[in-house]
Order: sequence, then C-alpha cells, then structure tokens
Amino acid sequence: MNKQNLKVIYSSWQIFALTFLRVLIGWHFLYEGLVKFYTPGWTAKGYLLGSVGPLAPVFRGIAQSASMLHVADIFNEWGLVLVGLSLFIGLLSKPFKLFGITLLSFYYLSYPPFSGLGANAHVEGNYWIVNKNLIEMAALFVLILFPSSHISGIDRFIFKNNKSKM
Amino acid sequence: MKVLRRDFLKGLATVPFFGYFAFGFKNNITREISEKSIDYQKTLGIGELEVPGEKLRPPTGNSGNPLRIGLVGNGWRGEQLLNTFGYIHTETVKQHTANGETSSWLQSIMQREDLNVELVGVCDTFEVHAKRGSEFIPVKNGLIGEGQKKDTNVKIYHTYREMISNGEIDAIVIATTDHTHAPIAIAAAKAGIHVYLEKPMTHSIEEAIELRDTIKSTGVIFQLGHENRQQMSFKIARELYRKGAFGNVSMVETYTNRNSVFGAWIRDEAFDHKLGNKDNINWEEFLGSAPWHEFNLKRYFSWQRYSDYGTSITGNDFTHRYDCVNQVLDLGIPEIVVALGGQYYYQSHGDMPDVFNAIFSYPERGLTMTYDGTLKNQVTRTSRILGSEATMDIDGAILMYKDSYSEKFKDVKTDPSGPLYFYAPRTDVDAISTATSKAYMKGGFGPTFIDGKVLDTTFLHVKEWVDAIRGHGETSCNIDKGFEEAVTFNLANLAYVHKKPVRWDADNEKAIIG
Repeated sequence: MNKQNLKVIYSSWQIFALTFLRVLIGWHFLYEGLVKFYTPGWTAKGYLLGSVGPLAPVFRGIAQSASMLHVADIFNEWGLVLVGLSLFIGLLSKPFKLFGITLLSFYYLSYPPFSGLGANAHVEGNYWIVNKNLIEMAALFVLILFPSSHISGIDRFIFKNNKSKM
Repeated sequence: MKVLRRDFLKGLATVPFFGYFAFGFKNNITREISEKSIDYQKTLGIGELEVPGEKLRPPTGNSGNPLRIGLVGNGWRGEQLLNTFGYIHTETVKQHTANGETSSWLQSIMQREDLNVELVGVCDTFEVHAKRGSEFIPVKNGLIGEGQKKDTNVKIYHTYREMISNGEIDAIVIATTDHTHAPIAIAAAKAGIHVYLEKPMTHSIEEAIELRDTIKSTGVIFQLGHENRQQMSFKIARELYRKGAFGNVSMVETYTNRNSVFGAWIRDEAFDHKLGNKDNINWEEFLGSAPWHEFNLKRYFSWQRYSDYGTSITGNDFTHRYDCVNQVLDLGIPEIVVALGGQYYYQSHGDMPDVFNAIFSYPERGLTMTYDGTLKNQVTRTSRILGSEATMDIDGAILMYKDSYSEKFKDVKTDPSGPLYFYAPRTDVDAISTATSKAYMKGGFGPTFIDGKVLDTTFLHVKEWVDAIRGHGETSCNIDKGFEEAVTFNLANLAYVHKKPVRWDADNEKAIIG
C-alpha cells in the first residue's frame, strides 16, 4: 500500500462517500461477471464481431480465433467477478482497480463513441467521446488515488502491520 | 479491546451489503437471463436450424483437371465474373498493387480457393472489350500471374459460334445482352459445353422452353447467375418456412428502387463507351435475331432499355427478388399476372417503363406476390413474406416478427416492435434480439457467411457450377429454377405491353393474353 495514500486523513463523510462509490462499482462489476458466468454458452464473440472503430479489426480477430476468444471469455467472466468482489469487500483493492480500468478500456475501445462510427446504434443513450465506461474508468482512477479499503475493507486487516509501523 | 472491536467492524463495513447481494443475485440473474435470451428453437417451436451448419465443399480442382472456359460478353458483369474466376485485368492489378502492396480486394481474390479454371478465350461484339478480355491474368494461390508470369494466353474469338465450334473450351460463361442469352446457351449446350448464364435467363417464354429442353436433352451442367442462391439468409428462411414458422403465407411483397441515370441503364457515356463507333462494334452480330435497325450507339450501350434486346425492369431487377423468394417458398410460375406502369421520366431511351407494378396470383398456393419497382426513388425496401403466424423482412439479413393474432406464438412474450427471430449477415449472430437489430438490415447482398467464413456469393455460385461439372453436387439455380424465373417475369412483361391480364397455361406451356 502506498505510504502517501495512508497519510490522507478523511472525515467520516468522506470515508462514507468513497466506500459507497467503491461498493457501487464493485456491485456493478460483480453482477456483470456473474450474469456472464451463469448464462449458458455465454461468449464475447458476437460483441467482438460487431465492434466498430479503429481497433475493430483487432477485436474481430480475437473473435475469429478460437484460442484467443477462449482467453477473452475467461478474462471477462472471471475478471469482472474478481474485480467486483475486490471492490465490494475492499480486498487487494488497488491492483484490482487497475485491472478494472483495463477491462473497461477494452469495452470503451471496442465500441468507441466517436462520431460517425455508429456505436450509438447499439446502446440506449447518446454519447460522444464520453460514455459510461469512460466515467467508470475515471471513478476507479479517483478511487486509486483516494483509497478506502484500508479503512472500510478487508485490506484494513491485511495491511494492519504496515499501518502500525507508521 | 474497545478500539479493536471498532476497528474490526469498520473493516467489515461493506460486508452486510455484500451479504444482501449474495443472497439476492442468483434469482435476479436467472430472471434476467430468461428475459433476455429466449431460445429461438423453443420460441419458434422448431428444432435446431440445420443450414447455418452447412460446410463448404472441398476444392474439386487439381492439376489433372483444369476446366477451360470461354467468356462471351466482357462488359461490366463479364469482367466481374472473370474476377470471380480469379482472372484480373493487368491494369486493375497495377491499380491494386501500389507501392508493392496489394489491396485487400486483390488479396481476397489471391487467397481464395483455386477453382482450377483456365480462361481460354473471350468474345465481344465491341472490339475494345474483346481486346480488354485478352489482357486478363490469373491471380491465385497467393500469386499474380502464374509463377509471376505477367503475359496472357487468352484468345479473342470473333463470334461465339467460332468459340463454341473450335473445341477449345469445356464451359462457357455468358454475360451478353438478354436477347442473345438463349441462342448462345443453346448452341453451347448442343456442342456439349457447360453453361453459366447471367440472369435473366431468356428474352422470351419460347426461348426459355427451347433452352430448358436443350439443357435437359444434352445433360450439360447449367447454372443461372442468381448468386443470391448462396445467401445464407434465404437458406435459413427456407428452412423456417418448411418447418412451419410462417403458418399460411398469403402474401409476398417484392420491391426494387433506383434513382439515377446510370441506375436506369442509360449508359451511352458510362465506362469506356465513348470509344465505341461503327468500326469497332460488330452491329449485325449484336442484333442477332432482333428486328433490323440502323447502327445506333444508344441502342448498343443502353440496350437494357430497348425491349428488342433487354427485358425491362422486371428482367433486370425483379428477377433478383423473385429468385430470392422462390428459393424460400418454391413459388414456381404464377397462374395469372397483371401489370401496370409507364415510361414517365427517361423517355430519351427505348421503351422501358420506369414505374412498374405487377401482381402475380398463385391460387393453388392461396397467395399473391406483388412487385413494385421505380427508377425515381432509391429507398431500401426489403422483400416481405406475410404468414398467418409471422411476418419476415428479408434481404441479406432476416427480421421475423410475430403476428399479433398468431396461435403458434401466442405464449411468446416479445417487445411488439422487436423481432421474434433475426439473422445478421456477415456475423454468425442468429438469435432473438432487440430493435437495434434493424441496424443489420440493408446489409445488401454480396458476401455471405458460411462454414465460419465470409465469402462472396458470386464466388460460391461459380464454385458450385465448377464443382458440379466435375461431378460433385448440383447447381442450385438449375434450368428448372431458371425456367420458372424466365416465364414469371416474361408473363409480367406481356401483361404490361398488352395492358391485359396474362394467364399461364401450364399444360401447353403457353401464355394466354386477355
């Protein structure tokens, strides 16, 4: 755990707000992951094949290779579940926040909301450059800089020794 | 101790929420999954669809059995067909290999299955096109020109008769004016030469009968150039129909729309047509058995618009749509046809109507097919099949909607604006979906998805013909399907010209006007 972070002294409301945000994002990731896990025969294939934008050939390439698709499916299912769990209960939260940002960046890049790509045809709202994936990435970035799991999470017990050394 | 307990509780602050999540998530997921992904097999009450699992036939060509082909009619379509066979004009090769890099289009042809055909000769009544045809080089097995050999051995024949009688070709590809389709195909078949004939099949019903009888008696392999026979969407629709997903089909709607001078087949100045003159066009050979007329460039280059040579908007456009729905429903030839329309906008050329409506009645099937075509509007209208249980919009994609009075699907809950079933081209997504699946329509034609690959339908269509010639499989747009196409659109043309209903006497194979 970053020493500098631990020096931050939060008010109770600040801890509440940060924890609340962390749990919401955790909830979202965990549920998304579990839905995929429990959907029989779930695969990212259709999603990847339909991707748009400059990186579409890369994502389509993944979908067309059985081995790469298998890896992508596992990363999606388990990645989402683990990131969700981690954020939810505040366990090893920093590396998983980074992992969460990585996953979100893939979702963002496979359907980037840039003008003229038609990405909006596939979603419920209207987005230009900024969409919910990007905002969730930014929120995770904030949570990395303002961690709460060492106070309101399991990390409190794991990194206790470090804390007492301070 | 007190501090320790508070510490402990803080660290577990989020656990109660986690507990709530853990308790409730499973039920919610189950509900969500069942709402989202209704199994199409269960929904439509059919078993698993078989055609999407169709496999490509392995290559039938090898060094021992090259198929020698000749092309008659090296115009726009003729050149496209040569490209499909893996022969590209030297200039086109240059354009597609700028800076030592081959374009993706050329790459896709280079990497296609080698059909093992050899372009032996070409023939065209326009010298410029005949000469161009002799400048094509093979592009296959990842190579341009066999072993980088850039010259060509394609021979120019002065007439199709010379090409046929020379004994140098095994198979002929015909992409000429409509009124010469039958004479060339019949002469070729009589010489034992296999025939790939561009659509529409023939200029008249009498020719269709003669061609059919000749193909049947000679036993040559015949394929009519309706490449949408290879389109996966129509194969799926056919299977759905045969498995009863439509219920009773009472109506079939077909449409075509164009809105440009070029689209209206006015092409005197298109392509390289400005090069044409009395000296480099074999006018008499072009006329064939058509009524005599003085040399006329409009008639030569915009021949589609003149009923002496072309087959009107029906032969050009309707036949595509007809063959697609005929493939799904096995409609065959209608009993009665009425047609109306007129030439209102492009009166400078020929007698082709630019607004055309026809009704084709199939009393024995309990259904009517309609065709609406205009040359003054470009909106996309897909074909539509109206059944008692469901309605299907179909082109390269499928959107199938439940009928609100459907018995079969009455227990299926769907968003009323969303489809019951959809198939998206160019991906292998076929599932129940949301309204956004509309984005997949208007995919047009061209490539299709088969055996895990996206392939050009014309390539699949010529491959089918070449494989059948080598004794593997059969052609899908055979002479019987071609006969149905030719009679059906010619009945509509007769109804339009005579402004009377036209009846098909199936026993005597005759059109009865009035």
